[in-house]
Amino acid sequence: MKLLWKQPYFVIGFLILTFFLIGSFVFEWINGSDPKQTYFLMEKGRVIEAAPLSPSWIHPLGTDQYGYDMFAKIMLGAKYTIISAMGVAAVRMLIAVPLGFVIGTYWQKRRTTINSFIDPLHYVPMTIFSYLMLYPVLWEPMEGFSTTVWERIVIQVALMAIITVPIVASLIGNEANLLYQQEYILASRTLGASKSRIITRHLFPMMREKLFVLYGQQVVETLVVFTHLGLLQLYIGGTDVSYDPMMGDPPNSIAYEWAGLFGSSFRYLQGVPWLPLGPAICFALVILAIAAMIEGYTRAVSGQVKIPKRKKVLFVSDKTVEWNQKQLKEKIQLLYKEK
Amino acid sequence: MKHFMHWMLQLAVAFIGILLISGLPILINGFQKGEFWWREYGEHLLVIFPLNHFLDTYFSSYIGESIFYSLEILFLALLVSVFFALSFTVMTMLFKERARQRIKTLFFFLESLPDILVILLIQLLVILVHRHTGVFMRIASTGGEKIYLLPVFCLMILPMVQLYRLSMLTFEAEERKLYVELARSLGFNKVIILLIHIFRNAIISIFFQSKKTMWFMLSNLFILERMFNMPGIMFHLSEHLTGELFLITVCSFFLPVFIVYSFFEWYFLRRTSRGGATL
Repeated sequence: MKLLWKQPYFVIGFLILTFFLIGSFVFEWINGSDPKQTYFLMEKGRVIEAAPLSPSWIHPLGTDQYGYDMFAKIMLGAKYTIISAMGVAAVRMLIAVPLGFVIGTYWQKRRTTINSFIDPLHYVPMTIFSYLMLYPVLWEPMEGFSTTVWERIVIQVALMAIITVPIVASLIGNEANLLYQQEYILASRTLGASKSRIITRHLFPMMREKLFVLYGQQVVETLVVFTHLGLLQLYIGGTDVSYDPMMGDPPNSIAYEWAGLFGSSFRYLQGVPWLPLGPAICFALVILAIAAMIEGYTRAVSGQVKIPKRKKVLFVSDKTVEWNQKQLKEKIQLLYKEK
Repeated sequence: MKHFMHWMLQLAVAFIGILLISGLPILINGFQKGEFWWREYGEHLLVIFPLNHFLDTYFSSYIGESIFYSLEILFLALLVSVFFALSFTVMTMLFKERARQRIKTLFFFLESLPDILVILLIQLLVILVHRHTGVFMRIASTGGEKIYLLPVFCLMILPMVQLYRLSMLTFEAEERKLYVELARSLGFNKVIILLIHIFRNAIISIFFQSKKTMWFMLSNLFILERMFNMPGIMFHLSEHLTGELFLITVCSFFLPVFIVYSFFEWYFLRRTSRGGATL
């Protein structure tokens, strides 16, 4: 574990992630749950800029068309986005890990059949799959939602976790089955160990590191799907749709989560590029942070060290090396001639 | 023949799986109201029978055209990304170990960039270029016209990075094998060993592992068509989301990809099992 904190990649990733996560709670605690609103900037008694304001020192990420500060919105929304992504990945792993071990040990003979059923799932793009599943849950119908926000979040997390459980489970099952054929497991089976003991004593400890990496990958994948769903105007916790035919508001997200911030402002790229770019860059930062943590973690556990710089041997000069090579060539040519 | 029957079975299983998935929203709708709508679900499953009636109702020449357009973009991007990934791999393999390690780390982080950011940045770049030089490229299609250059470019970047990482790993594993050492000791040039000996062994295992990239590209294409307003089938699906259209869309991608993959799989396996080198 100590090694982990010596990995610069892991530390950097961890710092970025905690900045967003802790920062989000602290920000709400200090500034309250509403972002600051600025309608226009005044200078010498004249209006110089009206909302949306471009990025400046007071508003590092600019403001949106109603004058709300983008940085505040992003900080407020960070916790919802990050925590729900981690939640989805956690639920997915909690179901898939036991299932995978069962497939890899108890159902070894049925494994190929199970795999051939799971394989077609690879051809259903994750985004389209979750869009299809979540649309009836998250898109507000004409008569309004019949569920509360928290119910919707729970349903969304559960659904998003479940739809890729088969793929992750078969991945773990294949991996566990490979390990199951190892000699030391054969030995403990001969000594009479039960399958459940093999799972808890051998397979799980052997795969622990891989499972952590897999968890990180699942978080990243979930975040990417969130961005896609945001673009399709399905926001975390539901989309407020205004069915007013005359002056309907555009679809809105609750609580400033990032998918909504990005999805609702994407159309303004040409005029106000900072509106979609801010959340998109934050998504990228969080994803990069997790990727860096994964990289640092694998380096720490696999004990991979940096390749040391090759020291040049000082007392043999280049000339000597050249002379040696020349000698060698001549000898080889002599050998050829003798043949 | 046995092989072919197995293949047909796989195809049938996959199709049934997609059909079952396409009806799931009905069940979810039911659960939200606290009921179990198994009757509606069953009716949905029977919607494809009779087949010609199903096609008459849900399939039109417009949909056929957009499917073709989407497939064109997908396969063009795939070809371009494979080409660039392989040529970059061969180039980096010529570097020394330390430099290689650095390039690999860089690509690891490039790989984890979200696709929306890549597309956004490219669109923004095109706007900036237009503002400063007046050169204009289409960043979004209007009125259903087909654009190729920019979508293919956006779609190929991330798969290229993924494929590059994959092929670097395979090439490096292959480089440690004995036949490479033998070739080197016989005095062959590094480039020749790479291009002739390593390449044709590595390409097979790269192909078998590239399925995941394909899957990733499909998700990407969905987003791309949305962001570029392209008149493809994915855009159509995102505008009119129904179980039936979902079925048509997923099948229209699944069938060609599955056929292409199983053909090459069969071909490679046949070649390798004879013990000869492929390609």
